[in-house]
Amino acid sequence: MQPREEKQLEASVDTIISRVADLKSSLASFIHKLENEYERLNWPSVLDNFALVSGQLNTLNKLLRNEKTPLLRNQVIIPLLLCPDRDDELMKLTEGRVPVFSHEVVPDHLRTKPDPEVEEQEKQLSADAARLAPDVAQKQIQSLNKMCGILLDKLNNTREERESESGALRQSKQTFNPADTNALVAAVGFGRGLSKPIRPQGPGGPVPPGQTLPGAGLPGGPSMAQVSMQSGPNQQQGMAAQVPPQGQPGKIPSTIKTNIKSASMHPYQR
Amino acid sequence: MGVCVVSQIPAVEGKSVQQTVEMITKKLEILGAVKQGTFCVDCETYHAAPIVNNSGQQGKLMYVMHNTEYPASCFALFENGPCLVADTNFDTLMIKLKGFFQNAKSNKIESRGQRYQFSDFLVKVGTVTMGPSARGISVEVEYCPSIVSNDCWNLMMEFMQSFMGSHTPGIPSVFTAKHDGIYTPTDTVIQYMELFNKIRKQQQAPVSGMR
Amino acid sequence: MEAPPVTVLPVTGGTINMMEYILQGSVLDQSLESLLHRLRGLCDNMEPETFVDHELVFLLKAQQGSPFILRARRSVDKPTMPWHLRYLGQPEIGDKNRSALVRNCVDVATSDTLNEFLIEMGFRMDHEFVVKGHIFRKGMMKIVVSKVFRILLQGNTDNIEPLSLSYLVELNVVAPPGQDAVSDDMKNFAEQLKPLVHLEKIDPKRLHQA
Repeated sequence: MQPREEKQLEASVDTIISRVADLKSSLASFIHKLENEYERLNWPSVLDNFALVSGQLNTLNKLLRNEKTPLLRNQVIIPLLLCPDRDDELMKLTEGRVPVFSHEVVPDHLRTKPDPEVEEQEKQLSADAARLAPDVAQKQIQSLNKMCGILLDKLNNTREERESESGALRQSKQTFNPADTNALVAAVGFGRGLSKPIRPQGPGGPVPPGQTLPGAGLPGGPSMAQVSMQSGPNQQQGMAAQVPPQGQPGKIPSTIKTNIKSASMHPYQR
Repeated sequence: MGVCVVSQIPAVEGKSVQQTVEMITKKLEILGAVKQGTFCVDCETYHAAPIVNNSGQQGKLMYVMHNTEYPASCFALFENGPCLVADTNFDTLMIKLKGFFQNAKSNKIESRGQRYQFSDFLVKVGTVTMGPSARGISVEVEYCPSIVSNDCWNLMMEFMQSFMGSHTPGIPSVFTAKHDGIYTPTDTVIQYMELFNKIRKQQQAPVSGMR
Repeated sequence: MEAPPVTVLPVTGGTINMMEYILQGSVLDQSLESLLHRLRGLCDNMEPETFVDHELVFLLKAQQGSPFILRARRSVDKPTMPWHLRYLGQPEIGDKNRSALVRNCVDVATSDTLNEFLIEMGFRMDHEFVVKGHIFRKGMMKIVVSKVFRILLQGNTDNIEPLSLSYLVELNVVAPPGQDAVSDDMKNFAEQLKPLVHLEKIDPKRLHQA
C-alpha cells in the first residue's frame, strides 16, 4: 500500500470515528431524556432529537460515499492474536463492552458473511426458485402484482375520500355565527331581545324585529305590516335598559291594538 | 347554633355601664359560667341618597350588621322588612353603592364584651357603644341544643331569672312571628337591631328634653 | 356542647376589588358536541358540570346619570344553593396588549330573600332570562357554554324559548387588579378553540350602537 493511500485511509477512519462518536453521544442523551425526563419531555423536543440523529446519520452516509474516502470493503482485517485473558486496553476502547478478544467473540465482531446456517437456507431458497417452471413463476408474479394493485387502489381511494370529506366540512360547515354571538352578548349584557315583563300600564314592551309577542301574532298581512313598521323604533330598543323608551308615534296601549293600528297606518307611512 | 334571646339591662343606680357589666359577669362566674373569648355585634346605618329616583325610599333606613358568631356572614335588613344574609362581599358592594346609599357614620353602633359558657347555654354580656361613649348593656342568652324557639322559652326564662332577676325580658317578638318556629341566626341579628334602635331613641330623648 | 372560640378582631368585610377578565363567543347548536368534546380534552379533569340558572337583572334608577345595575341569579336545578348577587362595572376594552375585556366585579352569595330585599332597597326588575349550560375549568379559568332562554311568562322558568340557534361561550377569570398576565393565558386557550369558536373581547358599547 502506498504511503499516500495509507494516510488517506487513516484520515477517513479518524473522521468516521468522530462522526460515530457524535452520533453515539446524541443517541445517549436522547435515551437518557426518554428514560429520566419523560414527564417533562414534549413532542416538539422529541422531534428535535430525531432530527438531530437523522442529520448525523446523513452526514455519516455522505462521508462513506465521498470520493476521497477509500473503499473500506477492500480493507481486510485479520485477527492475528487471540487471547482468552482479560484485556484492559480493549475494555477501555470499547467502553466496557468487550472485555476479552477470544475465540468466542471474534467470529461475531469480525464477521463479513452470514452464518453458515443462514447461507444454507439461502442456497435452498435459490434452488427452489430455480426449479420452478418459468410460466408458473410468471403467473405467480402476475397474481401478486394484481393483489398489490388492488390494495394500493383501496388505500388511495380511502385517503382521497377522507380528505375531500374533511375539506368540504371545513369549507361549508360553519361552526359559529358572529351575528348570534352579538345577539347573545347583548342579551346577557343588557337584556336585548329578552322579553321584558309586560305591564298593562306601560308603553308596549319592546319586541325585537321579526319576533312577535306571545299571543299577539295575527295571521297574514297585518303581522307582516307590524314587523316592517316596528323595525323602525325598535332599532333603539336595545337602549331601553339605559334610557326610558322614547314616545312611539301614538302611544299604543296594548299589543293587539298595535297590530291593527300598524296595519291601518301602513299606507300613510310612505 | 341554637335559640337566642337578646335583651337590655339598665345600669344600676349610681353605677356606670362598665361597673354594671362587671357586676353581671361576676354573678355569672359565681354561677359557674366559664369565660370563653369575646364577641362583637356591629351595625351600620344607610339611607338612600337624594339622587335615588324613588320617593318611597326616602327616610327608609337600611342596616348592615355583622356578628362574630358568624364571621363569614353579613346581615342586611330593614326595620319590619326583609332581611338578607350574605357573605362579607356585601360590604364591598355597599362601597360600590356609595352614590345611592349613604353610610351615616355617626350612627354606627356596636355591642362588645365577654362570652361565657354555662353548660348548654352561651351568655354574652356586651357594652353597647355609639361613637366614643357607652350607651347601654346588652345580654344575649343562647340555648345551644335546640332550634325550635318556643320549646326553649320557659327553660331560657328560668335560666335568665337566675342572674338577671327582675330584668328578665319577655318573649321576643321573633319567637312568635314565625310560622314554623325554627330559629335562625337572622333572628338574633333582628333582636340586636331592635335593641340598638331602642338604645338610640333612649339616648335622644333625654338630650332633647334637657334643651 | 363546646362552642367555638371567637376572635375579637373587628369584622372587616369582603375581598378587595376584584376584576373579571372575559372573552366571549358563540357556537352553533350543531357544533356544540364538538366543542364540548374539545373542552373535555383541554380542561381540568373533573366531573362534567351542568347548570340551569334564572337571572334577574335589577336597576336602581337615579334622577340623573346611569342606573345602578345588579344581577341576581339562582339555580333552578339545585334550589338549595345560595343565590348569587353580582355587580359588574363598566368594561374597559384596553389596548391591543391586553387580550381580554376587563371589568370590576363583586360577587356575593346570599340568602333566598334577595329578590324581595332588592325591591325594598328601591331596585326594579328590568329583565330576566334562563341560562342552561355546561361549566369547565382550567386552573383559574372558567369556561361556560350556555344557552340563553327568553322567559315568556314573567317569573315562570318553565315557559321559555331559546333566544337563538347558538350557545354562548364565555371564558373568564376573576383576579385581583393588575394581573393582566392572566389575559395572555386566556388568549392562548382561546387559540386552541379555533376554528370551532372565536372568542373575542366584545365591547358592549359597540353593540349598543349597532
